[in-house]
Amino acid sequence: MNKKAWIQDMKAIPFLLPFLLAYLIFTIFPIFKGLEMSLYDWNLVRKMEFVGLENYVEMVQDPNFWQTLWNTTLFVMLTTPTMVLLALGLSLLANLNTKLKTFFRGSFFIPSILSVAVISFLAIFMLQPYTGLVNTVLQSIGINAEPFWMADKGLAWVSIVVVTLWWSVGFNMILFLTSLQDIPDALYEASEIDGASRWKQFRYITLPQLIPIGRVVILLQILASYKVFAQILLITGGGPGGATRPLIQYIYEIGFTQNNLGYAATMSYALFFILLILSVIQLKNQRMEEK
Amino acid sequence: MIKKTFLLLSFFVMVLMITACSGLDRLVSGNSADVPEGATEIVMWNLFAGGDAAYMQEIVDKYNNSQDTYFINNVQQEYEEYYTKLLTSLGAGKGPDIAVSHAHTLPELVNLDVVEKLDSLAEKVGIDWTEYNKNILESTMFDNQHYAIPIDTHPHIFYINNELVGEAGLLNDDGTLKMDKTPSGYRDFFNTLKNELPEGKFPFAFVTAGVDSFRHWWSYYSQLGGEHIVTEDLENPTYVLDTEKAIEAAEYMLKFWYEDKVIPLNLADFYSDFQSGKAATIATGVWSTGTWENTEDLEITAMPLPNIFGEKGAWGGSHTLVIPSYEETDPVKQKGALEFMNYAADEGAIWAKAGHIPAKDTVVESEAFQEMPYREDYAQTADYINFMDRTIYARAINDIMVRNLDLIWTKEVTPEEGFQLVETEVKDLIAD
Repeated sequence: MNKKAWIQDMKAIPFLLPFLLAYLIFTIFPIFKGLEMSLYDWNLVRKMEFVGLENYVEMVQDPNFWQTLWNTTLFVMLTTPTMVLLALGLSLLANLNTKLKTFFRGSFFIPSILSVAVISFLAIFMLQPYTGLVNTVLQSIGINAEPFWMADKGLAWVSIVVVTLWWSVGFNMILFLTSLQDIPDALYEASEIDGASRWKQFRYITLPQLIPIGRVVILLQILASYKVFAQILLITGGGPGGATRPLIQYIYEIGFTQNNLGYAATMSYALFFILLILSVIQLKNQRMEEK
Repeated sequence: MIKKTFLLLSFFVMVLMITACSGLDRLVSGNSADVPEGATEIVMWNLFAGGDAAYMQEIVDKYNNSQDTYFINNVQQEYEEYYTKLLTSLGAGKGPDIAVSHAHTLPELVNLDVVEKLDSLAEKVGIDWTEYNKNILESTMFDNQHYAIPIDTHPHIFYINNELVGEAGLLNDDGTLKMDKTPSGYRDFFNTLKNELPEGKFPFAFVTAGVDSFRHWWSYYSQLGGEHIVTEDLENPTYVLDTEKAIEAAEYMLKFWYEDKVIPLNLADFYSDFQSGKAATIATGVWSTGTWENTEDLEITAMPLPNIFGEKGAWGGSHTLVIPSYEETDPVKQKGALEFMNYAADEGAIWAKAGHIPAKDTVVESEAFQEMPYREDYAQTADYINFMDRTIYARAINDIMVRNLDLIWTKEVTPEEGFQLVETEVKDLIAD
């Protein structure tokens, strides 16, 4: 390395340092602290005794762990494909050269800036039986039913997935939109001269160009969905009877109501490894294809 | 373009200022109060909200004005995260001098060794334990030692809308209910209401799932003679739920929703249904009494939940005050803390305005309390409340019960299957 480049690098350090410090204290340190905790009997007040891998053994045998992990996985399986398709569709709509372009972009993105508490309470007001907007509309168009959107096991999942899509599709749409705008116009012009139809243009130009960002969206979506917690807690409370309780809610309950931080840390580590493995597979895949 | 940028920029500055201000505000309000000169500041954390919070502040203000040796700094904490915050703060040695605790959380605090025993201090302050209701006081004692000053008990009771129930012809001239206090009589009462109420009104405001259903079930289970879920061994309880009675109580409740249909399924806000005069009756905690009384055009009567299964029993909780323990104790603060705690129990008549039943029999017998409507009628409940089993697992067992009972109420499982699930999960929790 020559001297000049080295000095150049050194100059970056003061700029990186503040973030690095915060990162070390609030992210790196807790990662190792969590590992330590998972090996101890540890409550909210103090560290108790070293238990080795006991917490991990307990986790493997805990039906609630598997149940909530499955609930979270179900959520991932429901939201990831729908999110990608919806975000893609909306980005195409928002990319159309119409007078409504700004309106589309704005209205699709606005829910993303709302906090989870706001969107959850909006959802509750709209979905509640007898007086909620959704059921009132259904009844006004002649459907004589009173569906329990939050209390029925199947419908609760539908509600959570739809609310989550509505809330967070905006960000993914923006990712697709930026990629759409990066596609050189020349490609479309050339294909037009060759007589390609709109569908063929989409199929052979637009879609292939969107594959890299599509991968990013899928990865981000899987990671984010595995961490689902707040909107479920607020809308269904994990109910009915634990049917929609995600893993993080279970971790939270174990840690803070059952006063067992050691076991909570153990399950957090399990989730961490699941996400790590998924990320590695995804990145490996991507590299292979790029080669 | 420049205009747009400017607008955007000023918007961000505004947002920044608003968030910064509110953040600062929160920091300040938590810690600094105007402590009068010469007075010792005693910090109290409470978990109250709404009317409860206002009445507690009234008691604190009255105490602060009544003397100038101590100053109680009453800090209101968020209810949902209260115990998490309290426990972690105590672990870090940075908690308050007085803390509010529910009676069912005391076993955890005692077991974690984070609250002081009060006996020797109580002698110095001159607390007369015989003034307290025996049933309530017992829920705060461990190994014959006092760990807390109870300030109230708050059972689930029954409220009726006088107008609606009267119009249905179910009120006697003296204001009592025309109801046989038997399982079938209670159902008849609701079925009559269902037939007699005008269009758009319904007999009984109640939730389908959640903690209230569990508490309601617990009342019936107790009335059937059921006593416990687990034995009252602080750390090593065993599972003793009387499954037969548990199932009977659950099957009885299911009839309200599915057979008699006197409670609409999955009500979104059963409080507002009763408050707005849509429902003729409601079963909930005494803490709502103040709310109903302050509602215009709502005439109510409050009464104990009818004892229909033979034995007297009701779900109830209790708010208590504790002194957290630290490595370095401050005897002056502790003495002041306990003096205030006893004072708060003495001022139970103020606290009762919210609806709670004071923990001191002397207060319940006082004129100030007796003059308040309804309270006297339901105060008797304090003697037969079946408190939750006193173990360190109380909060966790509560969660397990609520979640599995919800499966029963939503007909995902039969009561038999539901209590099988409860048994497996509770036994796993307590390693029985």
